[in-house]
Amino acid sequence: MSENLPLSRVRVLDLAQVYAGPTCTRLLSDLGADVIKVEGLRRMDITRNFVMPENNSEDDYWNKAGYFLLRNGGKRSLTLDFSEESGGAGVHIVKRLVEHCDVVVESFTPHVMAKLGIDYASLTAIKPDVIMLSMSGYGQYGPWRDYAGYGMGLEPASGLASITGYRDGDPLRTGISFTDPYSGIVGAGSVLTALVYRRRTGKGQYIDLSEQETAIPVVGYAIMDKAMNGRDPKRTGNRSHWYAPQGCYPCTGDDSWMVITIRSDAEWADLARTVGEPGWASDPRFVDVESRRENHDEIDELISNWTREQDAYAATDLLQSSGIIAAPVLNPKQVLFDPHLKERGFFDIVETDQGKRPVPHQIGAKFSGFQPDSSRRAPKLGEHNHEVLAEVLGLSDGDISELKDKGVIGDEPISAVPLPVMRMFVQWPLTSYQQMGALGPVEDDHHEQLGLA
Amino acid sequence: MADTALGGIRVIDLSQGIAGPYCARLLADLGAEVIKVEPPDGDVTRRLGPFPGDRPDPDKSGLFIHLNGNKKSITLELDSADGRDLLRKLLASADVLIENETPGRMADLALNYEQVMDDFPDLIYCSVTPFGQTGPYAKYQGNSLAVMAMSGLMYVTGDPDKEPLCTGGEPADYFGGLHAWVAVLAALEYRGETGAGQHIDVSCLESLGCADEYNTTMYAWLGAIRKRYYSRHHIPTYPSEIFPCRNGHIVVIGGATGFPLMMAILLENPELENNPLFQNLWLRTIQWEEFEKILRPYLMEHDWEDLLTRAQELRIPFAAVMEPGTLLNDPHLRERGFFCEVDQPGLGKIPVACYIFQMSETPLQCDAAPALGDNTGAIAEAVQ
Repeated sequence: MSENLPLSRVRVLDLAQVYAGPTCTRLLSDLGADVIKVEGLRRMDITRNFVMPENNSEDDYWNKAGYFLLRNGGKRSLTLDFSEESGGAGVHIVKRLVEHCDVVVESFTPHVMAKLGIDYASLTAIKPDVIMLSMSGYGQYGPWRDYAGYGMGLEPASGLASITGYRDGDPLRTGISFTDPYSGIVGAGSVLTALVYRRRTGKGQYIDLSEQETAIPVVGYAIMDKAMNGRDPKRTGNRSHWYAPQGCYPCTGDDSWMVITIRSDAEWADLARTVGEPGWASDPRFVDVESRRENHDEIDELISNWTREQDAYAATDLLQSSGIIAAPVLNPKQVLFDPHLKERGFFDIVETDQGKRPVPHQIGAKFSGFQPDSSRRAPKLGEHNHEVLAEVLGLSDGDISELKDKGVIGDEPISAVPLPVMRMFVQWPLTSYQQMGALGPVEDDHHEQLGLA
Repeated sequence: MADTALGGIRVIDLSQGIAGPYCARLLADLGAEVIKVEPPDGDVTRRLGPFPGDRPDPDKSGLFIHLNGNKKSITLELDSADGRDLLRKLLASADVLIENETPGRMADLALNYEQVMDDFPDLIYCSVTPFGQTGPYAKYQGNSLAVMAMSGLMYVTGDPDKEPLCTGGEPADYFGGLHAWVAVLAALEYRGETGAGQHIDVSCLESLGCADEYNTTMYAWLGAIRKRYYSRHHIPTYPSEIFPCRNGHIVVIGGATGFPLMMAILLENPELENNPLFQNLWLRTIQWEEFEKILRPYLMEHDWEDLLTRAQELRIPFAAVMEPGTLLNDPHLRERGFFCEVDQPGLGKIPVACYIFQMSETPLQCDAAPALGDNTGAIAEAVQ
């Protein structure tokens, strides 16, 4: 399956959990690497708890989570117990596996790997050319190194929230954990860079990635303005540093919007003509970018009066045909149905035990030489215990049974909280979300609509 | 001087704006030789600033310097036969080409991948555009805002009673640049295995679309459309957002172990440990306005530095809301040497956000950005 992929001869030991680290290793997996994801039975990846089919936590729900599939499709799952009770058996197996791996990725807080005796120095004694990537909230050294870092905090810590928000409002976060996918991609690039270097020199190396730092360059413009002019950024909603008008405007339909950017006087005249208001072009209040910026509120009102009567998709087509930047604000369902993304095959249909599910590609690139493989389902907890231990380490059936008996490997999570309580906890209160206005109504026929039934 | 990871790799950066140039800058910081090929009036970011004292100068644009450090600059006119001839000569010794022309334009110039692949079979030819080379929107005009709108992420960002909000800083362009960078590296590894070059078609929309944390998943798995809700998560984490405090803002996150006890201690009111809003996550999530009546007044009496330090001591993962000014002076980033002081001709020392990861054998290296056409003569001479 992965013969023709760039990393088909690379094996990755994946000790990372949740979002950022698994995004990195998922990308390496899609590029052909054999990724062995290690989870503890007492500490399985918590994202196995998020987004179950029909919000139903019956049976082995931890093998069905949509959130987990997106970041872990195609990997092999190995469970290992790192706790004291197993007498270090988990760590021992990790060390033996490293001998057969090219890359180790981990996302613990900085002291953990050293405490377990599997930090970079220890690993190079086993595998001198190993490439090891540590991904953490704030990096391996510096005053904040031991700070607990959650994705929701790292986006603001990178400075990005300070330039995100409505005019004169508080800083806001993106509606996703922005720095997780962002630093996951950076992590994958850092590993690929180290692989290119190893190909040339035979040398491995250690990579210290701070998720806070990866996203700081996105704030580059505002940082330069501060460094050059001492100016602090203002939050400007959807407006532009450079162009006017730019904004998000209401369209027909419930919670339907479109965005428009006008980059020049000529485009302003084009917009005026296209929407049937040629007078806007010669109006002295809007004659150049400075005056349009000054009268932006008025312009927004005029544009909104037009867009309120328009369908977002149709108005986009109309404005784009005049060379104007316009786009509908797609809701998640519309993304799944968008004709452009559909034609480009952005979603793979993944066969899961619960049926077919659309999963977006993990890299926004198409290659003429090979096709990254993003169509594989996620591994069940411990699904590849036997396969990995037998194939990679050459353990006998007896050895493996013994590990199972000792609880070092297994395929059911061991939780401090009783499983029935966990089941209640991982089901979302959808009705309450709907009452709060955080979620639209459940469409019972969504699988039919998506053509998955 | 330490070894570089991509030493010996030559990149022709024909791209303008943010996405392509950021990809090329990452390759440059990792040791590739990057020749930036600009039109006679320069990359568009040379005109976008910010400029010192707000006086426009193509060689002093902050955004340009941020995105084009470590490169050489040569100007040529792609619309002229001489210009195209020079570009082909540059490609003869190049490993990678990065371009972001509107799809179809390179073909019109007889320079698309199919038209050059026979002459340069091991070339990695990377096209970076808002919507990709194919599909109904291929020729649409796009920018970060339009891409974020179509990605689905804008719809879920912002307040429920207001319009959807775009993340600041042109995020779709940076995501596109990162994906292009990863794709080029993957193609270099592929070439290492097979000897073959190839074409890469990067779509910023798909690059940002990949970051869809669980939005399309919620529809596909549950049949429900997630709405924007103060950028609050549906995964069980409330609170996990930004609140005002006495001297600015602070990110309040309970984390796995913050409630009820540690948060009660942090808020200096032990009785809160027994408050149902502290004990029950779902209750807190749903009756968040009640919870905030307890939280907000306390925060307004304390500074973010104090809240952050005390929360982290209790292993509650609060975070700072950094701004450009605090980033530039931050002791943590300073100790890690995140910003590189670059000596930019005509400007003097300027901090550039550089070290987005640290490699033990091949550290990233940052340098000044080139003046427009700085290296035209020398490079043109070398390839003639």
